[in-house]
Amino acid sequence: MNSNIYKKKTPIFVFLIPAFIFMTIFLYYPFIRNIVNSFQSITGLGTAAKGFNEPWYANYKTMIEDPNMRIAIKNTIIMIIATLVGQVGMALLLALLVDNIGRGKKFFQTVYFLPIVISATALGLLFNLIFLYDKGMLNQFLEILGFSGLIDWKDQHHAMMTLLIPVMWQYVGFYFVILITGLNTISEELYEAAVVDGATKLQQVFYISIPLLRNVVCTCIILAVTGALKVFDLPWIMFPKGMPVNSTFLTGTYMYYQTFNSNNVDYGSAIAVVIVVLGIILSKVANKLFKEKDY
Amino acid sequence: MKKVISIMLVLVLTFSLAACGKDKNNAKNTSTSTDKTETTETTDKTETTTPEEPKKPVSINVTTTYAGNDGNAQNFQDAVKAWEKETGNKVNDSSATSDETFKARVLADFEAGAEPDVLFFFNGVDSNTLIEGNKVVSIDEIRAEYPDYASNMKDAMMGASPVDGKNYSVPVNGYWEGMFVNKTVIEAAGVKMPDATTTWDEFLDICQKIKDAGFTPIAASLATVPHYWFEYSIYNFSETGKHNTLAKEVSDKQGEAWFNGLSDIKDLYEKGFFPDNTLTGTDDDTVQAFIEGKSAFLIDGSWKVGGIEGLTDKVDDFTVTYVPGKNARKSTDIIGGLSSGYYITRKAWDDPDKRAAAVDFITYMTRDELVSQFAQYSATALKNGVTVDESQLSSLAQEGIKMAAGATSMTGALQDLIPTECRVPVFDGMPNLVSGTVDIKDAIQQVLDLLAAR
Repeated sequence: MNSNIYKKKTPIFVFLIPAFIFMTIFLYYPFIRNIVNSFQSITGLGTAAKGFNEPWYANYKTMIEDPNMRIAIKNTIIMIIATLVGQVGMALLLALLVDNIGRGKKFFQTVYFLPIVISATALGLLFNLIFLYDKGMLNQFLEILGFSGLIDWKDQHHAMMTLLIPVMWQYVGFYFVILITGLNTISEELYEAAVVDGATKLQQVFYISIPLLRNVVCTCIILAVTGALKVFDLPWIMFPKGMPVNSTFLTGTYMYYQTFNSNNVDYGSAIAVVIVVLGIILSKVANKLFKEKDY
Repeated sequence: MKKVISIMLVLVLTFSLAACGKDKNNAKNTSTSTDKTETTETTDKTETTTPEEPKKPVSINVTTTYAGNDGNAQNFQDAVKAWEKETGNKVNDSSATSDETFKARVLADFEAGAEPDVLFFFNGVDSNTLIEGNKVVSIDEIRAEYPDYASNMKDAMMGASPVDGKNYSVPVNGYWEGMFVNKTVIEAAGVKMPDATTTWDEFLDICQKIKDAGFTPIAASLATVPHYWFEYSIYNFSETGKHNTLAKEVSDKQGEAWFNGLSDIKDLYEKGFFPDNTLTGTDDDTVQAFIEGKSAFLIDGSWKVGGIEGLTDKVDDFTVTYVPGKNARKSTDIIGGLSSGYYITRKAWDDPDKRAAAVDFITYMTRDELVSQFAQYSATALKNGVTVDESQLSSLAQEGIKMAAGATSMTGALQDLIPTECRVPVFDGMPNLVSGTVDIKDAIQQVLDLLAAR
């Protein structure tokens, strides 16, 4: 009876087919349609295309010359770097610290994970109040400390930093939980043996924890890189329409802006294609650079 | 043996599915014929003895701009509750503050087939796609079935569509755009209160003195709501009676008016008359600063009277006057009209359950009493005019009535002629224009190109 289960693959396919059909209809077909749309002229959501652009690759040509697209890609790269350092790096540090404390582990796990369960819209509004120009929490705090004059945390000089801080803060908990789970899988015996050999806590971290956590860190890095390319909600709440002076556009927010605010649907589709291509290239590069190892 | 059983099971399944399909059709046909019979019987009975069955309560989806800081948001909610109580119907209200996002959302909902049943929306070019796509029903078509529909309104003032000149929406309250003033700032800065005789140059002097006194002269978020300054700045350079017309070229007279008007906004920005965070703050932020006595002037629509009343207890500290004029425009030439109204969507009209409810809802919301309550100090299309007890109004509302009454002319907003997506270079792009990132003439050309490409 049991052997039959392994021999007959048909039931497995039967169960795989619904999900495959679902993915085809709701993911792969729209994606292919989106590629076609990027070559056509569409001036409103849901409206029929007016035909192919002249030349058909006009949107991609425009994109090369579009200063806002250059800003969006530059900001997205900054976002990726900030994500790697601020999210994965910070999460690794916190996970290693929490893993080395005796009591209070659960408490810190909950504290760091909490931002994940808050909606990005709520977080955006929260940080809007913190960074508010007049009577914002940060400016009031600086006033108490004796600083005179208000700082516009959303002006061109501060905008990217103001944008990156909440985004980084939001997802630290996500990678923290993945990394702490990875740390829990490392055998206690290794640490005990290290202690017997006279290894310090720091040496245990560098010679046991981090090397054995490599594969988990690699997964986190790939997730962070691809996630940074798609980030949209929180930046859009805090800096709608690339405010100020188009300086905070990310690839995701610029695609939305072109599609929904400018009704330039075909150009938005072209940006979406570029986001996917960038995502594939960057995740491949990340895979190559941080190739998983068998221990 | 197993194969035989499998084949039999498959056959049984196939036949049962086919049978289900057949039954369904039969059931449908039977049901229809039964329904028909029942309907005939019911009709016969109604004609003779049986009383009419009570109508089933209906849920209708309604989207309006009566939300957020809109002065009539509470009036609307109260009226909706009263209508629900009176009819037993239910309203799913998805109203939102009137801004570019709202317009984009509404149009996207129509594109996606998720439109509401009743919509309170603009009747200018913003609604063109709704008319062209036959997504809303004309007043004539509604009157063919409901002859008394909107019979309390003057047809000529209802706001005909730019597409075919027909009326599609029933307006409630019109609007005017004026300059609200925080009197405490004017007093603290020791400057003269602007009035109908104040010229543009005098206004600039007043602004400079207010700035020197440590206040922000003008409350405006150029990042999110540059509309009002866009209108009046261009109106200051438009030929008399031609403000509400589109430029064909950057170099024609109206194109030059656009350039000069936008250059004036840039000049105000460079002089530091707008808030420091005008390129990053929201409208709510700048209005709050105005309410708190940090800014002196705020150009906004008549709806802001209610907004200010809701934001402060010291409404007597505020007044409203004319936006100082320049060139051929007198300060008393103001922008206003009836730019919005209630539409019935084609989707609701084609739904026999919702049709009557939608008509009834709009008829209820546009009754003389309710329109008077909503309009108060603004224009209406009512045949009998509004009935307002001025003693019940705030000093600010009374000033609003006086200002509108003293206007020498009222012209529609220029932006109503420009579809949302075509405004992007000068509305979303206003921070680029005032900061010099984008050349004003290039931005105007982009608008004209977008208009031409439609």
